[in-house]
Amino acid sequence: MPPCKDPIRALAERTALVDGMVERCAGDLLWPAFPSGMTLLAVGGYGRRHLFPYSDVDLLLLVESGRLAQDAPGPISAFLQSLWDSGLRLSHSVRTSEECAEIHDENIELNVSLLDQRYLAGDRALYGRFAERLPRFLHAQRDPLMRNLTRLTRERHEKYQNTYYHLEPNIKDTPGGLRDYQLTQWLVRLRDADAAPVEPTFLFLARLRCFLHALSGRDNNALTFDAQEQAAEWFEAPGPAQWMREYFFHARGIYRAAVREMELSESQNNSLFTQFKDWRSRLSNADFTVARERVHLRVPHGLDADPELALRLFQFVARHGIRPSSETEQRLIGLLPQLEEWFATPRPIWPQLKEILTLPYAAEAVRGMHETGVLRAIFPEMAQIECLVVRDFYHRYTVDEHTLVTLQALAYLRGNREPAVKRYADLQSELEDPALLLCALLFHDVGKGAGNGAHAEASLRAAEPAMERIRMPRPERDMVGFLIRRHLEMSAVMNSRDLQDPATARHMAGRVETVERLKALTLMTYADISAVNPTAMTPWRAEVLWQLYLATYNELTRELATDRIPSVESDAPEMRDFLAGLPTRYARTHTAEEIAAHVRLDGVFRQRGAAVALEKAEAAWRLTLVTADRPFLLASVAGTLSSFGMNILKAEAFSNSQGTVLDTFTFADPLRALELNPTEIDRLRVTVERVVLGRVDVRQLLQYRPKPAPPSRNSQVAATVSFNPEASDSATLIEIVAQDRPGLLYDLAAAISADGCNIEVVLIDTEAHKAIDVFYVTSGGRKPESAQLEKLGEALRRACGGIP
Amino acid sequence: MKKIEAIIQPFKLDEVKEALAAIGVDGMTISEVRGHGRQKGHKEVYRGREYTVDLLPKLKIEVVVGDERYEELLKTLTTAARTGKIGDGKIFVYDVVEAIRIRNDDRGDAAL
Repeated sequence: MPPCKDPIRALAERTALVDGMVERCAGDLLWPAFPSGMTLLAVGGYGRRHLFPYSDVDLLLLVESGRLAQDAPGPISAFLQSLWDSGLRLSHSVRTSEECAEIHDENIELNVSLLDQRYLAGDRALYGRFAERLPRFLHAQRDPLMRNLTRLTRERHEKYQNTYYHLEPNIKDTPGGLRDYQLTQWLVRLRDADAAPVEPTFLFLARLRCFLHALSGRDNNALTFDAQEQAAEWFEAPGPAQWMREYFFHARGIYRAAVREMELSESQNNSLFTQFKDWRSRLSNADFTVARERVHLRVPHGLDADPELALRLFQFVARHGIRPSSETEQRLIGLLPQLEEWFATPRPIWPQLKEILTLPYAAEAVRGMHETGVLRAIFPEMAQIECLVVRDFYHRYTVDEHTLVTLQALAYLRGNREPAVKRYADLQSELEDPALLLCALLFHDVGKGAGNGAHAEASLRAAEPAMERIRMPRPERDMVGFLIRRHLEMSAVMNSRDLQDPATARHMAGRVETVERLKALTLMTYADISAVNPTAMTPWRAEVLWQLYLATYNELTRELATDRIPSVESDAPEMRDFLAGLPTRYARTHTAEEIAAHVRLDGVFRQRGAAVALEKAEAAWRLTLVTADRPFLLASVAGTLSSFGMNILKAEAFSNSQGTVLDTFTFADPLRALELNPTEIDRLRVTVERVVLGRVDVRQLLQYRPKPAPPSRNSQVAATVSFNPEASDSATLIEIVAQDRPGLLYDLAAAISADGCNIEVVLIDTEAHKAIDVFYVTSGGRKPESAQLEKLGEALRRACGGIP
Repeated sequence: MKKIEAIIQPFKLDEVKEALAAIGVDGMTISEVRGHGRQKGHKEVYRGREYTVDLLPKLKIEVVVGDERYEELLKTLTTAARTGKIGDGKIFVYDVVEAIRIRNDDRGDAAL
């Protein structure tokens, strides 16, 4: 079959051929019986001269009166039968001008088909009257017609899950198909706007439809896997995957145009009151206004002078979940060359991007950035995966769409109460920096564009310069890099390793090294699998992934108390002494610079008995203490911080083989006392030092501590205190989950010390109002006896409830 | 004809598929299943709560072969799926009365 180079011409020639057949047949069978009072009109695709092979030939028999056809049915039947016998698939109707000029809510196709009506033969005077009446009808009934068209299209889109990504699309009906193309043409005409010239996207789809119809010998628009292979050959593409990429580019263009036109039509369909109400939306700010659930630029030309406005726009989208208006999107698209140039220059825009990725509607914002091309302007690396097809029955989406769906999969987790999903939702709420996970997801498959198989490394190579360009700090880049490089690791272990075998947990723990990385990688794996196709994340898979997470988590926390740094090869004796006996986790979670700073503090401690450092750490403060271990030490420092009104967010306590402890407290300063009164920084540091050295009694400091307000009933967390003597060879693990409140850590640590237990390792974390505290405790160098633990359990439960 | 239904460890799937392909068995149905036999479940402690894994994730493979091939298939399957530990799974063999290829009405061995 020779390729159809010029589909418009081929379709017009076929239309002319059919016109001739219809006119001859009508001359023989219709006009002798109806010399006047009847006109033949071509409507629908036939009317606009787009008659595809094997497609229906839509005919309208326009009659002066309904009785005319009823009184002489014989000639009409003979005419229609003769055309059927000639091999045409007829779709006909007989109507009067009055019937044509009525709104048919249940048969919108009739109204729509008239938009493309064309005179064929018959009573010219009748047609003249009809042709005069039709535009008046269309103008008067414009709103209900547009409403009906939009409703029908939205229903059709819904049927195809509102996406043009289908493994085997129907090139007429799926979003981005020929019906959507036609819809935009109709809506443009109904709005009396200028119709766009025939676009390359239509030519592509028209050629394809001719091919599919010819291939199957019928009106078949299903682009099956087999048909894709043959089409690729016919279109002389390098392969079916590359050819499908071209198909998706076209489908995407048509789909977006259709959605844009529908929104424009809907915006014209509103009462003045609704618009007035919308314009008063209280979400509007200095840069943006919100109308009809869409964001508009307050100063449309603002983008020309201030490209960062594009980032603020998507911050607004990410914060409120409201999409940009069509005009705003068009303005962004029009300015892409300038935006590309602006973003190509290295700039510190990571804080703005990070905010977008941290806000509740991050997935929607990133999708908006992708659809307008802004994402590609910021990260040109993403261009290599645009519409890139992974051609198998498992991968439902193109690579760029898969990437966006991973973000949606994470957004879906938020607040989900379904038990199998909730545990992942909880994990997500525990992430220290969710923006880093989202950033890693954005880049995780970019390397697939390189097409050489090992895509994780290629993705990392693409992400590195991008992260450098936006000035992402090194520790955050390391985390993103880790996630990209290892994003297939957990899937691979799930499929190829025995999860019951302790060696599997050890292997995985060795790969992730820290609990923080494990959590992020587990969520990345969850999102990645979920976004392969809508059914890929089965409950079975979710369970397998969770078991791998659990085994690795327990392995990582178990080793806290048992895996100690044996001896270090270092030229510096102070470094050697300090590190010996610290948990291996310490070495994994601290950079060389941090370790060097701790060694310096260790030196100060040896001279003065205690060394305290206090510094600002992004939005919080960090206090680092090096001193000799003693009972009540942790409780004393926690109590001191509470007495200053500080809210402890995180705490870690490690001790080395010489009995030196390193305690780190990350805390919030809700009243900004340290920031507003710099002298308070020194006062706090000195007070901690004096408390540690026993010169001040922490109980005195706490005497005047204000009583915390009780939490609201809705947000209360039920306290759980559990002991796990098996978690470690040398210590008993105590896990406490409780409602967070100022002074909680002091009360818990004091209860443990009062019971005669020694705190070996501490990990304190806070998630919103929930405190998750892990203590590894010993008593007299051994695991505490069960009677002692029972007593301690009661004391801890009392402390959780704020009862002394 | 015999139908072989094997419950295996998920991580053994690739090995089993490769071994079956090597003896010319390509067609099979694979389902994600959960259950336990002698392996029972186990308990994990997470966040202060006991987490009971009473139904373990397994994979079910179903294959239908001619009578003359099934002993070879069983041998290949057991060898590939075995680790020697509790939890390796089970194999069940059923007699099959008829097989029909829906597309062209092929019957018996020809439909396999």
